[in-house]
Amino acid sequence: MQHPLPRRGLLAGLAALPPLAALSACQVQGGADEANATFPTRAVDFWVPFDAGGSGDLISRAIAKAAEKPLGQSLPVTNKPGANGAVGLKELLAGKSDGYTISLAVKSLFAIGPLVVDDPDAVVIEDLRIITTLTNEGYVLVVHGDSPYQTLDDLLKADKVNFGTTGVGTGSQLSAGLLFGIAGVEATDVPFDGGGPTVTALLGQDIDAASLSLAETMPHIEAGDMRPLCVFSEERSVFLDNVPTALELNYNILVDQRRFIVVPADTPDEVVGVLTLAFEEAREGSEYGQFLADNFMERWEVDGMEAELHLAEATEQFAAQIAESGVELGSAE
Amino acid sequence: MDFSSVLSGFAVAFEWQNILFCLLGVTVGMLIGVLPGLGPAATIAILLPITYNLEPTAAVIMLAGIFYGAQYGGTITSVLLKLPGEASTVVTALDGHALARQGQAGPALGIAAIASFIGGTASIILLSFIAPALAGVALAFGPAEYTVLALIGIFLVGTLGNGSIIKSAAAAAAGLLLATVGLDPLLGTPRFTFGTDQLADGIDFTIVAMGLFGVGEILYNLEHRDRPQTAVPSFGRAIPGRLHWLKSRLAILRGSVTGFILGILPGGGATMASLVAYAVEKRTAKDPSRFGKGAIEGVAGPESANNAAATSSFIPLLTLGIPANATMAVLFGALMLQGITPGPGLMTDHPDVFWGVVNSMYLGNLLLLVLSIPLIGLFVRMLKVRPGILAPITVVITMIGTYSIRNNAFDMLLVIGLGLLGYGMRKLGFEPGPFVLAFVLGSLLEASFRRSMRIFGGDVSEFVQRPVSGTLVAILVLTVVVVPLLRKVRTRQTENAEQAGVTAD
Repeated sequence: MQHPLPRRGLLAGLAALPPLAALSACQVQGGADEANATFPTRAVDFWVPFDAGGSGDLISRAIAKAAEKPLGQSLPVTNKPGANGAVGLKELLAGKSDGYTISLAVKSLFAIGPLVVDDPDAVVIEDLRIITTLTNEGYVLVVHGDSPYQTLDDLLKADKVNFGTTGVGTGSQLSAGLLFGIAGVEATDVPFDGGGPTVTALLGQDIDAASLSLAETMPHIEAGDMRPLCVFSEERSVFLDNVPTALELNYNILVDQRRFIVVPADTPDEVVGVLTLAFEEAREGSEYGQFLADNFMERWEVDGMEAELHLAEATEQFAAQIAESGVELGSAE
Repeated sequence: MDFSSVLSGFAVAFEWQNILFCLLGVTVGMLIGVLPGLGPAATIAILLPITYNLEPTAAVIMLAGIFYGAQYGGTITSVLLKLPGEASTVVTALDGHALARQGQAGPALGIAAIASFIGGTASIILLSFIAPALAGVALAFGPAEYTVLALIGIFLVGTLGNGSIIKSAAAAAAGLLLATVGLDPLLGTPRFTFGTDQLADGIDFTIVAMGLFGVGEILYNLEHRDRPQTAVPSFGRAIPGRLHWLKSRLAILRGSVTGFILGILPGGGATMASLVAYAVEKRTAKDPSRFGKGAIEGVAGPESANNAAATSSFIPLLTLGIPANATMAVLFGALMLQGITPGPGLMTDHPDVFWGVVNSMYLGNLLLLVLSIPLIGLFVRMLKVRPGILAPITVVITMIGTYSIRNNAFDMLLVIGLGLLGYGMRKLGFEPGPFVLAFVLGSLLEASFRRSMRIFGGDVSEFVQRPVSGTLVAILVLTVVVVPLLRKVRTRQTENAEQAGVTAD
C-alpha cells in the first residue's frame, strides 16, 4: 500500500472492466507496467481540432468538465483547428499513444471528407480508437420566415433554388445537395464560411433555403424568423416533433453530424479502459445533460466497435447516393 | 425601448463584483493587447473555464472587457514597435509609428487613448438607443454588398502609400495572391497548399501582420545596429497638447460614426472602418502629404473608428446571435456554456445580461482611459531599451503569440518566412501596409464575388439593381472615378487661368 490513492482509483476502474481484461491487467501490473496501471497520474490534455466557440468546442468543454471527477484529473481543453479537424488529429497521431492526449473527432471528416477531396494522406478511422461516443446532431432544412414556401413540396416545385451551405464537404451541403439532386430541382449551392454567415444570408434572404444544425436554427425558428421544412434524421427530432423527416416524404436521405472522442489506435487497452469508464460516467452528469438539451443535441452512446461500423457504413451509403443522384460536392463548378 | 430595463442594467453593471470583473477584464485585455500576436480570441478561450462558476453577467462583462481592452492595448505596440496585432490597427501603425520616431510617442498614444474612449463611448450610446433597429443593417449586407465594400476597401488601400504608386500596387497584388492560399472557398479544391493540411484553411491574418510588420521591421533594424541610432529625443507627455487636440477632434468625431456603422457588419467591419476613417482624414486634409509621416489625425480617426466598431460588433451577436468576428464567436460560446442563447430572444429573456453587459462598457472604457495615461508613460520607455535587447524579446513574445492562435508550431515557421519577405520588401522600398490590407480584403472580395455570381446566376447587372449594393457602387464610382477627374479638371483650369494671367501681364 505504497500508493493508496491511485490504487483505489485503479481498483474502482478495474472493477467495472470485463473480468478477463481485469485479470490480464492485474498480471501486468505486478511487473514493470506500473505507469500504465496507475493511469492517469497527471492532467489529460483534451484537444479540440476546431476553433474556440463552435459547437465542437462547446461540447468538448462540457464533457471535459464532467469527466474531471470520474477521472480524478483535470482535462485542460486546447484548440487545434484546421481542415475540419485533420490538422489536430494528425498532430495527435504524431504524438505519444499514452492516453494523456485525447481529441474530439467528427463523423463528417471520415464519412464525407473522402468524397470531396482525394487525399492519400487523409486521417482514417483505422488509425484511431474511439474511446467514447457523444452526440448525434440533426440537420434541418429551413427557409426564411417570410418565404412563400410553406412545405417541402412547395420548395421542390420552385423553378430555381439557391441554397446556402456551411462549406464544402459538410453535412449541410450533402443533405441539401442530395435532396435537390434526387428531386431534380434546378438548385445552386452557395457555400459560406461556417454556420454563422449562412444563418445571416438566410435571414437576409440572400439565399432561399439552407440545411443547418438544430443548434444554429432553433432560436430563429422559435422567433419565427425561419421556417423548418424537413429534418434529415431517421426519426423526427425531439425538439421539432411537428416537422416531418425527409424519409417520411419519400426522400431516402439520412445525414447527421456525430461527435466522439479518440486516441491513437495503439494506445494500451488498460488506458483506454480507464478513459472509457470515466467518460461513460461523465455522460451521466446532470450539467452535461442540461448542456445537450440547451444546445438541441441528441445523445449517441454506443461502444467503439459499433461507432466504427456506423462510420464505415455512412461513407458507403453517402458515396452510393452521390453517385446515384449525380450531385457534385466539390470539383466542377 | 424599455427604459426601466436600461436603468436596471446600470444597477447590474455597478454591483461591486461586476465592477471588479470589469476592471479585471479590461486590465487583462490591455495587457494581452500589448503582447504582439496574443489576441483576445485566444485569451478568452483560455479563460473560459474560469467563467464556468461565475454569474453569466459577470462572466460576459469580464470577457467583453478583454475584447475592447485589447483594442486599446494593441495600439501601443502598433505605435511603439510598428507591430499591429489586429487588422484594424494596421493603419494606426503608419502615422503612429512615424510620430513615435519623431519623439512624439506620448501624445500619439494619448490621442489614441482619448480617441478610443470617445469612439467606444459614442458607440455604446448609439448601441443603447438604436441596437434593435440596426440589427437589420447586418442582414441588408449579403454577398453582393460585401463584394462592393471589399472593392471600395481595395481602392482605399491605394491611398495609404506614400512612395511610388506602382510599388504600392505591386505589394497589394502580392497580398491578394497570398489570400488565395488554402482551400477554394466554393469548391474545396486545395490552392497553393503544397499538399499540406496546415495551409488548408489559408493563413491567419495575425501571422501575416506579425511577419511582415513585426519580424520584418526587427530584421531591418538589426541590420542598422552598428550605425548610430537616431536617438529618440523625448517621448513627449502622455497628455496631448492643445494643438494635437484641435487637430484631432473632428477626426475623432468622424471616425466614431464611421466605426459604429461599419462595425455592425459581420466580417471585416472593424478593418474597413479604420481604413475608411484613415482615407477620409487624408482626403479632407489640407495637406495630404503629411500622412504617413506623422499626422496625428491619422492616429485619431482610425483609433476612434476601430473602437467604435469593436463596440458595435456586439450588435449582431446580441440581437441576432451572429458572431461578427473570431472573438465574438468565443463570446458566443461563453454565453452558450452559461445556458444563455445569444439571439433574437436575448433582450427580452435576459434583459439583465443584455443591459448589464452593455452598460458595463461605459465603465470599462472609462477605466481603460484612466489606466492608459500612466501606463503609456511606462510603455514608451520601451523605446529606450537598446534594439539588441528589445528585438529578441519581441521576437520571442511574437512567437508565443503566434503559437497561441492555433496552438500550432507550423505557424511559427510561417511567421519567420513572412518576416524574411517583410525584410526583403522593406529593403526594396515596398510597404507592408497595402500588402496586409489587400490580404484581408482579398479573401472577402473573392468569396463574396463568387457567391454573388452564383446567387445572381451570372448576371453582373444585379450588383447595380439591389438598393444597398447599388448605392455602394455609386459611392465607388464617385470616389474612384468622378472626384479624381473633377480634381484634375480643376487643377488644369487653375493652371490655364494662371497662364492666362501671366500672358495678360
